[in-house]
Amino acid sequence: MRETMEKLQDQYTSALRNSIVGMGESALQQAYELGRRALADGLGVLDMAAMYHKALAAGLPRDSTPEETALMLEAGASFFAESLSPFEMTHRGFRDSNIALRHLNQTLEQEIKRIAHALHDEAAQLLASVYLALDEVAGNLPPAREHLLKVKGLLDLIEGQLRHLSHELRPTILDDWGLLPALKFLAEGVTARTGLFIKVEGESAPSLSPLLATTLYRIVQEALTNVTRHAKATQVKVTIQHELQTLRCSIKDNGVGFDVSSLSARTGERGLGLIGIRERLNSLGGSPSLVSTPGHGTELVITIPYTNSQEA
Amino acid sequence: MANEAVVTINTDADVVAARQKGRELATELGFVSTDSTLLATAISELARNIIRYAKHGEILIAPVQSGDRVGITVVARDKGPGIANIPLAMQDGFSTSGGLGLGLPGVKRLMDEFHLVSDANTGTTVTIKKWKR
Repeated sequence: MRETMEKLQDQYTSALRNSIVGMGESALQQAYELGRRALADGLGVLDMAAMYHKALAAGLPRDSTPEETALMLEAGASFFAESLSPFEMTHRGFRDSNIALRHLNQTLEQEIKRIAHALHDEAAQLLASVYLALDEVAGNLPPAREHLLKVKGLLDLIEGQLRHLSHELRPTILDDWGLLPALKFLAEGVTARTGLFIKVEGESAPSLSPLLATTLYRIVQEALTNVTRHAKATQVKVTIQHELQTLRCSIKDNGVGFDVSSLSARTGERGLGLIGIRERLNSLGGSPSLVSTPGHGTELVITIPYTNSQEA
Repeated sequence: MANEAVVTINTDADVVAARQKGRELATELGFVSTDSTLLATAISELARNIIRYAKHGEILIAPVQSGDRVGITVVARDKGPGIANIPLAMQDGFSTSGGLGLGLPGVKRLMDEFHLVSDANTGTTVTIKKWKR
């Protein structure tokens, strides 16, 4: 990094000198290309400012008149702006992505509501008409009654699962019972579906704002999904702790783990989950941290600033 | 109003010439200097794409007027292989921009209007506009 920067600094200084002595557009194009390269090398805007400052100090002749100096500084300013232009492009890109991400989370929440409603109300209605139809068949075909009872038993199971799924999706249980019971309810559902052993522990937290509780619920939900999809774990422990002014939530599994540094470099299936989690946390001032080594499981720790007196 | 200019793009030196024309016109129309810089940046990116993917092409730079507004339109044309997958090319992180939002999506964000036409038979045409503030 140091070497790249020094090399870039030399080129920047000589290009700025060209610009100051009136090389015009070709020096500006050079400035642009240098900015682009600096960006690709991972330099930041402040690095660019420092680079410009150094180059200017080296490039301004000492014996020039104030008028000459003013002209040179003007040329230098154009040069500087040009070398920052690639950063402006990426800056706008990141801003757009952030807005899109926030929007995505909102859309997701609406979509979840819609699916929960479809599962709970619409599917339940369909099931009710199936029950009625079965009763009719049973009335007309007495010998089939035994079989139909079995079918009814299966339908009961389906209805129960649908109801559970719909409650997991839209946790009204959060408002009624609070975070811990809601997480236990969530864990039961995941265990029933996947066989994963999940232990939920924690102090029954003092009253959390609905936003905070929903955020934590969604994060645990996302984390458990990730565990079942990728971790090949048999056990997960979810812990909620309230320490001083911080709410701490840990989701720890005994699965295969992975190389965390590979995550930030990659975008894709696994990455988006963490990005979504980070975005949800941003509005609460919280942050996620992921600890994992291949072969030694994964722990996701969420910390959120919190005070008891917090208003909903 | 100022005339349009067409710059043939074959080499890096042509990129400089195209930027020069863009900047001259921007100055003539009274663009603020940051917008002239953004226009030059957009021209650089488009010219870069021509050299990289099509080898040869041209860039037209012309003043535009719409009601009270004046602006500059830049049309970058080539008869290259065309963009096989436009949604992919418009996605940040495709090819040279390496996830940093440069390239075509970057140009789109710098400009007020952006229009892309591309296919394998006719090559690629990108039309952009920047209005004077």
